Amino acid sequence: MMYRFMVALLAGAIYIYSPGVWAASCCGGGSSTSLILPKFSKSMVDLSFDFENYDGFWNQDGFVTPDPPESDLNQYRFNTGYAHRLGSNWQASLVVPYVWNQNTYAGLDSRTNDFGDTQVNLWYEAFETVMCVWKVNEWEDLMPAAYFGASLTLPTGTSPYNDVANSFDITGRGFYRLDANLLLDKTIYPWTATLLLSYGIYQERPVNREYGNYVEPYEKKLGDRQLASLSFGYTQFLDSMDSLTYTLAYSYLNEDQGTINGKTNYTSGFKKNAIGFTVTFSTLDNDWIFKGTYNHALDGDDYGRNFPITDIFTIGVTRVFR
Amino acid sequence: MSFVRLVIVLITFLTLTGCENAADNMLPSSEDKRPVVEQGVPGTSVGQIALDFTIPDTLNNPVTMSNELVGSDGVVLYFTMWCPVCDSHMSHMRAHIIPNYPNIKFFFIDYVSGSVTIARSAQISNGYTGTSYSVLVDTDQSVLTAYRGTMGTAVVIDASGIVQMNEDYKDGTKINSILENL
Repeated sequence: MMYRFMVALLAGAIYIYSPGVWAASCCGGGSSTSLILPKFSKSMVDLSFDFENYDGFWNQDGFVTPDPPESDLNQYRFNTGYAHRLGSNWQASLVVPYVWNQNTYAGLDSRTNDFGDTQVNLWYEAFETVMCVWKVNEWEDLMPAAYFGASLTLPTGTSPYNDVANSFDITGRGFYRLDANLLLDKTIYPWTATLLLSYGIYQERPVNREYGNYVEPYEKKLGDRQLASLSFGYTQFLDSMDSLTYTLAYSYLNEDQGTINGKTNYTSGFKKNAIGFTVTFSTLDNDWIFKGTYNHALDGDDYGRNFPITDIFTIGVTRVFR
Repeated sequence: MSFVRLVIVLITFLTLTGCENAADNMLPSSEDKRPVVEQGVPGTSVGQIALDFTIPDTLNNPVTMSNELVGSDGVVLYFTMWCPVCDSHMSHMRAHIIPNYPNIKFFFIDYVSGSVTIARSAQISNGYTGTSYSVLVDTDQSVLTAYRGTMGTAVVIDASGIVQMNEDYKDGTKINSILENL
């Protein structure tokens, strides 16, 4: 039971932490999610489908601004993930998204699709046994499960620097990014709390083409990226001993201003605050997990900057192999 | 090792199976591949004679590009779809570029609204009702197509009608240096 409980909690938390929340079909989306394999399991296959609906944006000053009248802007992502245990404390995962952009304006209609940016993750588990407890009897029972990770984003999606006709074709950002991640997770049945901190650095790259037109080459770098997410979960065991886990999360995402030829690009960078709610169903006899998540950007002034305001609906299924 | 093999296979798959874009991004080039274009002929590339057009502004007044060049030092076109990137460019232009060039005409071209009424509504809700620039409505994307533009494209045309810039606005550095020399 303890094992299944961990699987459900992590699966739920991962969906809320999805960095796909920054995706933007008009300016470079298609980010993939991260996967974490529970202790003592060998591998995991995860399939999920995101529907992201756009409803305005925060402008440079943080004020909520509506999309053009009669517009309907959406992005769909199908994420294929695989996680594999490399050793007793090491695991790696890979997530590949496929992205569909569907943007309708009063005077324009666009539908495009391609692979998004791929994410490769490596995690170290700084604990030897299951850290979940039923009751706190001593200090050690309060110790969380700590994961230290690195994530490499590969620019496999279509970016503004490819041979594309316009901005609607974009499904990725076109840059490598390396993230350092810390995940702390503590469960005292039936409650759990999870904290994720992530800091990412983009690699500078040359650009010689913009939206299909060759330009004078220059060097471009996106700003450093910070993600913090805090979640709380509650698990309900059903009569069948299947379980339902409810997870509520708050996330903060910030990207600093980037550079062009080494000088600060003051039109870049963004910020976003969002909340998410996930319901996870885990079966008793096998390791199937079904998930549904709703992620909502806090759509008030100053909750974001220079970024679309979106709602993301995710459904997914995970198969864990022991 | 099986995971490493999986990663290698996948990247190879993405790179080779019709994913030219992935290869371009994973191995980006700094080579200058701008084509040599014939100067002084009608076109939209730098050095060519800018294509003329007439489209309405958001008050339904027809605006002809060649007429706007008369008596001014030049014209700047910026293609907007009222998105965060567009707003960051436009607000930067409004604060740091437009005030410095009073004898240059600045036009934000809305290519997504499809009608003057909707474009006017978008203009107002986005807060771009100032008098130092105008918002034009490219209802059928004819100007966008002619200038090979997209979200964020900025075009500079000098007083003699020659295209001096046609590329993404980026951080405004390049457009500023070009306008200084008009």
